Amino acid sequence: MANEARTISKRDVAGWLAALMRRAEVIAPVAAHGGDVAFAAISSPEQVVFDFQNSLHPPKQFVLPQTDPLVVIRRNGNGIELEPVRDAHPRVIFNLRSCDARSLAFLYRMHASDLPDGAYLARAENVTLVSLACTVPCELGFCTCCDAGPFLKEGTDVQLTDLGEHLLAEPGTDKGLAMLSEAGDLFRPARPDEERRRLELEEAAKRAFGAETCHFASAMRRVSTGRVPEELWGTMSDWCLECGGCNFVCPTCYCFSVKDMKQDGSWVRCRTWDSCQYQAFTLEASGHNPRERRADRIKRRFFHKVSAQYYLRDGTVGCVGCGRCVRVCLGTTDMPAVVEAIRKGAWNG
Amino acid sequence: MDSVLTTCPFCACGCSLYVQASNGRPTGVAPSENHPVSRGRLCARGWNAHEAPAWGDRLTRPLVRRGGRLEPTSWENALELARASLTTLIEAGKDVGVLGSARATNEENYLAVRLARGALRTGSVDSFLRATYQPLVDGIVAVANGRAPAGTLADVEASDFILVLEGDLANTHPQAAHAVIKAVKAGARLVTVGCARTQLARLAALHLPALPGERGFLVAGLVAAAVAEPEPAGSPERPLPGFEALRGSVAALPVSEQLRQVARWLAQATRAGILVGPDGGPPERLVREGTAIATLAAVTGHLGRPGSALLPLPARGNLRGACEMGVMPHLLPGTIPLTEATAGARLARVWGRAPASALGLTAAGMPGRVAGLVVHAEDVPAVAPTGQDVLEALGQTECLVVLDAFLTPTARAAHVVLPVASFAEGEGTITSLEGRVQRVRPAARPPGEARHGWRALSELSAALGLPFPYRSANDVLREIGEVVPAYAAVADGTRDEAWGTFTSPPSDDREPTLRPLAADRVVAALPAVLALEGVFDWGSDPLVSLSPTLCRDHVSRRKLYPQGLVQMSRRDADGLGVRHGWSVRLASAHGEVALPIVLCNELEPGVLLVPYAFRERVAGVLGGRSEVPVTAEKVQ
Ligand code: SF4
Ligand code: SF4
Repeated sequence: MANEARTISKRDVAGWLAALMRRAEVIAPVAAHGGDVAFAAISSPEQVVFDFQNSLHPPKQFVLPQTDPLVVIRRNGNGIELEPVRDAHPRVIFNLRSCDARSLAFLYRMHASDLPDGAYLARAENVTLVSLACTVPCELGFCTCCDAGPFLKEGTDVQLTDLGEHLLAEPGTDKGLAMLSEAGDLFRPARPDEERRRLELEEAAKRAFGAETCHFASAMRRVSTGRVPEELWGTMSDWCLECGGCNFVCPTCYCFSVKDMKQDGSWVRCRTWDSCQYQAFTLEASGHNPRERRADRIKRRFFHKVSAQYYLRDGTVGCVGCGRCVRVCLGTTDMPAVVEAIRKGAWNG
Repeated sequence: MDSVLTTCPFCACGCSLYVQASNGRPTGVAPSENHPVSRGRLCARGWNAHEAPAWGDRLTRPLVRRGGRLEPTSWENALELARASLTTLIEAGKDVGVLGSARATNEENYLAVRLARGALRTGSVDSFLRATYQPLVDGIVAVANGRAPAGTLADVEASDFILVLEGDLANTHPQAAHAVIKAVKAGARLVTVGCARTQLARLAALHLPALPGERGFLVAGLVAAAVAEPEPAGSPERPLPGFEALRGSVAALPVSEQLRQVARWLAQATRAGILVGPDGGPPERLVREGTAIATLAAVTGHLGRPGSALLPLPARGNLRGACEMGVMPHLLPGTIPLTEATAGARLARVWGRAPASALGLTAAGMPGRVAGLVVHAEDVPAVAPTGQDVLEALGQTECLVVLDAFLTPTARAAHVVLPVASFAEGEGTITSLEGRVQRVRPAARPPGEARHGWRALSELSAALGLPFPYRSANDVLREIGEVVPAYAAVADGTRDEAWGTFTSPPSDDREPTLRPLAADRVVAALPAVLALEGVFDWGSDPLVSLSPTLCRDHVSRRKLYPQGLVQMSRRDADGLGVRHGWSVRLASAHGEVALPIVLCNELEPGVLLVPYAFRERVAGVLGGRSEVPVTAEKVQ
């Protein structure tokens, strides 16, 4: 749909956002405390920031919240009444970065396949993604190694590129096309020079990625052919503080626990974020824990993220190269560091 | 969904996080990337901080005991009942006391002191965890000439040498452990001291084993090594006052090559970080330990040096703040001696009533001794050294008034329960281990009829005849600024756009005063010494035990070991011919107990550790001490 590209003057973006806000909850990066940037539902178009490094907390929380109510359980006479909770509220996630758009496509595939997850899909199907391509690589990102940026070919409904005075908008799906059409004459068809400029920007952005490479292919070969020395996991595990942050900020992690919350005389069964790095994640009711050692849990994390088995199933590694785990890690065992250790068969702290 | 920046309520590192809430309930946590301490990094507790307020057994209405049961009532009735009972007890000449808490804000702790020394006219005001922290601080401050512990975790991260007197920092103070890990990765030399080779010990250049209770002894050995060096690099140019007497006092201590090496490393370091984990034992010993540590920093030139840090680690969140607010039986707000006239006069002016200046009972001394007890945000069996056993003594209290957000075992034992906000709905400030005073901001409204803690304490105090002039937590903070010198700048500084304000300047050039060290070995008899592991059990803390994610490890260990457990090194187990899960009988001069063993490779041979959570199980063997020589034998 590249030939459908349009442009909007930056002066008109507020009007466009206002129109979007009338029919959906618009979630966008906003300035939080002391220079923090966070995705939040906006109450006015002026809140949206355009010039930002990606937020540390990913927009995944708007399709997969940390506490996610699934079913209300009530007593009804002698029986029990179940009422599924479905959140089909229309939402637009605006100015999300390429890697995050890519991750939501990954999460969608995951929740739609095998046993479709109704609660997740209800939310996800009512979300429209308007991503902002990255003309400058973020400090710690390595999206180029994961086919998740800096620009996207697919996986987003609309991709915006900042051309200075204007934003170029490329619809990626029918939903995106419809969204742009609804905006009427706020947009005009892109001129050829604008489309050229966009391509130049993409090339420049790719070149600007320097040494930030994450050698997934060779790591995957080693993981999948049993060529990672067992002691390596033990050595690395002393450098992890088991915070779970890597999972929580990972835009592709989706593991959860199920717990019932008491609420005004009824119970709400909730899905809550969980971390495979927590000791109790695999704790069995008997008290037995198949992955009691932290080393085994770290191993498990990378056997999921970068093994051929999952690559074949998911069509990609479980990483979009956003670099968040580097920023969030309370230890030093983030994705690039561990992938390097796997590749080299040695850990340098 | 609302998202509000607040301060992590768990440990004392002082991380910042956003609590997210929807429909008035906390639903999640987001990190703050620019916060100077956490910089986007949280530990598991921080990441799940929203859970206890949302999932826990919340108190939503005042309760009073009628016919043995707690029944809902109005605030007016509850306050009146508390007033009437406490007044009757005081008029009958009986003892009353107040417990503040490391789980409460500075404002609440300050008002707890005002309630005790102002309204109830008693010096019996304390918190249980104080005993694991303040004596160490007292020892350090004496050497540092009154200067409060200084330095930041950022300093630690930038250090080239780090000395960690453990506990198990990776569990107790994860953000501090992060600073250490980052420094080690950048090439810093790490030395750990303790009776277990914990996670940090495994990353250390050198681990110095110390028996339980002998950290101070080991540090005195380091001092002996340091002062024996002819002219250690980095040491002060001219001898510090008291140097000769100090040297004389440690001359007879044995100095191994390892101690000499560590002392040399420390003296040569440009920036050194010294982290002192919480410790148990008699207060005099902890004061001596603190003195030894500050002396070591002084003779190697690091005490007060910009960039070097000497930080005792409070066992829980706002313990430093609680102490500085005066939640102590022997000091006034601002850690000022009871007899100091100007401080007394200042309090009298601000309160409109002279403070009771009597030396009061300690927290451990109160249950069973006082007839009336007001407990703010403390679950007594969770923090008392006697554990669950304290409930019996607590049951003898004629009037127990409990203010809490949760229906804790202490609240269940109360005569009057006043529901207050949890950290997620609260407002006020807390003080980190660095001395950074930061805001707690409400992400939701207190549930039901629960009120802000500062307000509930003020109303209780007013009912007891000492009215309050505060309309907000900020008003309380302003008053704190008037009576606690180190907080004078804080009242204005913690404006909402800032990341908190330090209580004391990061460093100043006050010269240390050296004193002779008294370093006595505390455990002579081997082969085995039994001690408790740590001084605090997170699993009993309501913010952990009521969080479905955080409670799991603790609950499962209690299920697996309902009778408790003792950790033992493989060598000791082999010596006794026992395996993991088998039972051993431990006997001391005081008593004996049989416990299943858990093999622990991290433990020094000869050291038997019982997790603090199971302290009741070995109370008889310990006989009130924090470590005892024992014999161990296999249970046939
Ligand atoms: S973020 Fe780092 S420290 Fe935390 S669990 Fe993951 S790997 Fe471990
Ligand atoms: S390290 Fe301490 S302050 Fe930081 S998130 Fe963990 S418990 Fe909270």
